[in-house]
Amino acid sequence: MAFDIQGTSLSWSSPQAARQLVFLLLVMGAVLTPSSPSDIPSSSSTMHNNNWAVLVCTSRFWFNYRHMANTLSLYRTVKRLGIPDERIILMLADDMACNARNTYPAQVFNNENHQLNLYGDNVEVDYRGYEVTVENFLRVLIGRHESAVPRSKRLLSDEGSHVLLYMSGHGGDEFLKFQDSEELQSHDLSDVVKQMKEKHRFKELLIMVDTCQAATLFSQLHSPGVLAIGSSMKGQNAYSHHLDSDIGVSVVDRFTFYTLAFFEKLNMYSNASLGSLFNSYNPNLLMSTAFCRMDLYQRPLHEVPVTNFFGSVMKTIHTESSYKLVSSAPGVESSHDLHSVGADRLTLEAEADVVKQIDSPEKRAVKIKRKKFDQQSLGDGNGHQQTKSNKSLVKVIKGREDAEASPFSKALLTRKLFTFSKISLIMELFGGKFFRTTCMIL
Amino acid sequence: MAELRRRFSTFVSVFIIFFFFFFVFFSAIVLPTLASVGDLVELEEEFTEELLLKPLPDRKVLAHFHFEILAPPSPVNGRHHHLFPKAIAQLVHKFQIRELELSFTQGRWNYERWGGSDPLSMANAKPPGVELWATFHRPESEIDHTWKNLTHALSGLFCSSINFLESSTAFSAPHWGFQPNSSVLRYGALPREAVCTENLTPWLKLLPCRDRAGVALLLNRPSIYRGHYHSQKLRLISSKLTGVKLEQTLTIVLHPSVERYGLDSFSDGSTQPSWSLNSLFKQQLMGKCALAKDSRVLFELEHDLASQIDETESDYTWRNAAFELSTMPDRVARVMKSLPNQDSSVLYGFEVSKSSDSMPMDVGIKWKLPLIWSSSHAPVYASRFLMGSGNERGSIAITFQSSHLDEWLSTGSDGCAVHAVVFQVVPWYVKVYYHTLNIFMDGKRQTISDVVKRMKISPSEDKLSPGTMELMLEFPCDMQSATLTLDFDKGFLHVDEYPPDANQGFDIPSALITYPDCYSSRSYQTVDTSHFKSSLLPKFKEGNLVQSYTEVLLVPLTTPDFSMPYNVITFTCTILALYFGSMLNVLRRRVGEEERLSKSKASERRGLIPLLLLKLSSKLRGKRPETMQHSSPLPSSSSFFGPKLFIKVVLVAVLAIFWNYYLKDS
Repeated sequence: MAFDIQGTSLSWSSPQAARQLVFLLLVMGAVLTPSSPSDIPSSSSTMHNNNWAVLVCTSRFWFNYRHMANTLSLYRTVKRLGIPDERIILMLADDMACNARNTYPAQVFNNENHQLNLYGDNVEVDYRGYEVTVENFLRVLIGRHESAVPRSKRLLSDEGSHVLLYMSGHGGDEFLKFQDSEELQSHDLSDVVKQMKEKHRFKELLIMVDTCQAATLFSQLHSPGVLAIGSSMKGQNAYSHHLDSDIGVSVVDRFTFYTLAFFEKLNMYSNASLGSLFNSYNPNLLMSTAFCRMDLYQRPLHEVPVTNFFGSVMKTIHTESSYKLVSSAPGVESSHDLHSVGADRLTLEAEADVVKQIDSPEKRAVKIKRKKFDQQSLGDGNGHQQTKSNKSLVKVIKGREDAEASPFSKALLTRKLFTFSKISLIMELFGGKFFRTTCMIL
Repeated sequence: MAELRRRFSTFVSVFIIFFFFFFVFFSAIVLPTLASVGDLVELEEEFTEELLLKPLPDRKVLAHFHFEILAPPSPVNGRHHHLFPKAIAQLVHKFQIRELELSFTQGRWNYERWGGSDPLSMANAKPPGVELWATFHRPESEIDHTWKNLTHALSGLFCSSINFLESSTAFSAPHWGFQPNSSVLRYGALPREAVCTENLTPWLKLLPCRDRAGVALLLNRPSIYRGHYHSQKLRLISSKLTGVKLEQTLTIVLHPSVERYGLDSFSDGSTQPSWSLNSLFKQQLMGKCALAKDSRVLFELEHDLASQIDETESDYTWRNAAFELSTMPDRVARVMKSLPNQDSSVLYGFEVSKSSDSMPMDVGIKWKLPLIWSSSHAPVYASRFLMGSGNERGSIAITFQSSHLDEWLSTGSDGCAVHAVVFQVVPWYVKVYYHTLNIFMDGKRQTISDVVKRMKISPSEDKLSPGTMELMLEFPCDMQSATLTLDFDKGFLHVDEYPPDANQGFDIPSALITYPDCYSSRSYQTVDTSHFKSSLLPKFKEGNLVQSYTEVLLVPLTTPDFSMPYNVITFTCTILALYFGSMLNVLRRRVGEEERLSKSKASERRGLIPLLLLKLSSKLRGKRPETMQHSSPLPSSSSFFGPKLFIKVVLVAVLAIFWNYYLKDS
């Protein structure tokens, strides 16, 4: 890597050299991307491309109304910030909205002013009542379900997912109670997170827990890419915010209340960072000290927008060409489509790699110059080099296919070759545009 | 040559004209027919929406929403649907469903006040919680598996824990008790399942217009769930010939807010409260769902009420002496009951398409006269309750109260009899002893064989299957009341199997009582019934069996104190470990050997610190380390029963007692 950077700083002066550099980078990206042993590329090289939220209220019984209100408030917030219902797993341990004790049927409030009905008109609860158990919770996170379990009850995240895990309930030193009968321990949580990491089920995970001694729940975590925030330190209680005398119980916890107060000011386009969220917790107002464990998290918090976890706002790479060939090619079986889609993803990742490499701060000047250069040389030689790099990419894919080749897949090899040629065609198509896109992003 | 050319040109022109005509003909006749073939398939998918409103005798209002989507048998590649929800189509296709009914109900249908035999209440009175039954186009061997997968699919679709019906302890396969002949039917009920907005949301998403337009616009969640009873039902009927029919109904019993509408006209409590859609639902009708073929509001006056109005000698126009409707109805019809001696009810129809955003329709009624009427009676009212006390055993009793049997059985001779079929599923932990079945009739005990005409019982198996009972009873017509009792023992569950709120008790699902002799149906008479091209009304025409669901029973089972065993086990184990551990240690220790061993080890180790320690200890004891070696074997035998040991044992015992009595409290 260091060599390349040096090379770039030396050789960007002539267009030819710059072109070579780009080629080099592309090849490198193509070679590096599939270097992980498994079929799935390592999460570090994958772009953040989807968001999931798992929101859990672990408390049963009417007097725990506030825990459900907490969870529903978060549900409403993430929905408002753009995570669709099918990517939210909502677990509510009891039915408060239509509870016989609720004087406001089908409504749940988190404030005594009753301005906002959290239950809304189109809430979708995935796990409810007796289904909210430690077992089901762990199953959702790890993704090991019975085959009959429907999609809506599964966390179908992948290595590009940012997952928000919010839990509210009664807890203690290194445990969280589920339904007052089971406990989730900090070791369980760390094991689950570790498994999730190994199974490439998240790129980054934010665990947010509103419970007494929440910080202790994170003590065993050791997987990279995990950020954890809890409402209270060891030995501290997390308190409710206020009582609603109409409903007769406390309606929200302090930590969640102030989290919501922070989010109420935001919309999908806000750039508020996680750092500012964490700084907004005032121990005097919370009556506990919010604890944030960030030693497992690589990015600096003030650079991470909250919408990375609480919303669904992604970077987009704009390509002007369409994927015509894939859709219009007749007689291509679905398996080939899959391959080609995979290849597309690879190319995208390769691009992402290039983008990342170029994005190192010491090369700002290079970028600007190259922009000019790319605009000049869009038409001519670029396509050629692009195909070259594509060939190497294709070779890599082929190698990978062969590694796991079964007799069945060998029979398909010729067809695959056809597909690969198609892929290279596709890549040729937007090869030229790619550089323009890169520049646009930069 | 010129001649030739002219001929040729005429030939060409004739040809062109001919071709033109042919083209016109083709485009005019052939193309439309081709297109219509394509259209036919598309257009046949039909959606109708209807709302039936009915004032109930106890000052409440019944609102019954009925949505029906019909998908004709699809052509070869036809998995594409115009209106029919894809999720349901996939379900039907994957599980080969023949018939399915899923209902979510909260509250209990009041058979005595809201109707115990009319077709509407028969079809829509459901047991509390979730009830699911289904039959499949599959061989018997595959059905259980299909059922399990179906429950999971439905639970995902309707945000509900229907997947608890997956386990074999939760569902049963009735033979003739639930439906007359149903060999491949599976039935399951979850009496405690909560029903709320999250169940309604996916249900509404199946409708073409969701709740954005048409009748469904009225479904304001807080208003619905404030009601006394609501039952949301989905019924699927699929066959190769007729295609798939999806019926979605929502039955609500609401209490109109009296404050606003009652006080202005009458202040005494005798008149019925006046109400309108707006007062019930906080919404008004704003035009029909554009995709619906029919969109209609029906307003029904029960037969008893209609006869009361007859007595006031007012006609059935929308403004008469007894009441006044807020909107002019488009149609009026009289509906006849099948039994000859009963009065006809009155039906008003309103077309929703006549309303719009600017001109909302607000169907309502304002009563002018105080009227008292009663709903349709069931032949026999059944109810079920628990007897006995304690946590060991108890018994289930089902009572039958004859109410208006003479109405139902016109041949009131001595030999007449009424039949009742009891279908009851009991979970395995309530161990019913079926041999203890006792039947009392008018207080007198009867021989079982005299009353029970047919019986099918599959006793429960622990943790495998529930107990299912199907009984056909025959009562003489002059019977006033009958009671059926069954004894049971309460079983024990494994600690892990107790639900988190085990102290609340365990539910036994509703039993279903069917009266196979009694059919409730209506026939139409008089005024323009043919104009009511309703999909709802023919349902009433079909003969529905009169049936009723009994109460859900709540059985308190012995529940362990879940924190108690933990405490007991920890304390006991600590004491045992302390006592026996130290006892064994003392008894089994051979001091001499140990010292010899340590001595030999010490001699092996020539580290500086151990040496120093040895010297230090020997100095403290005032002995030389060598002497210990010689003296040690002798005391070991004597110390076995020596005072030191005794002191040690006592010390351990005192410690244990201290631990037990003082530290335990903390």
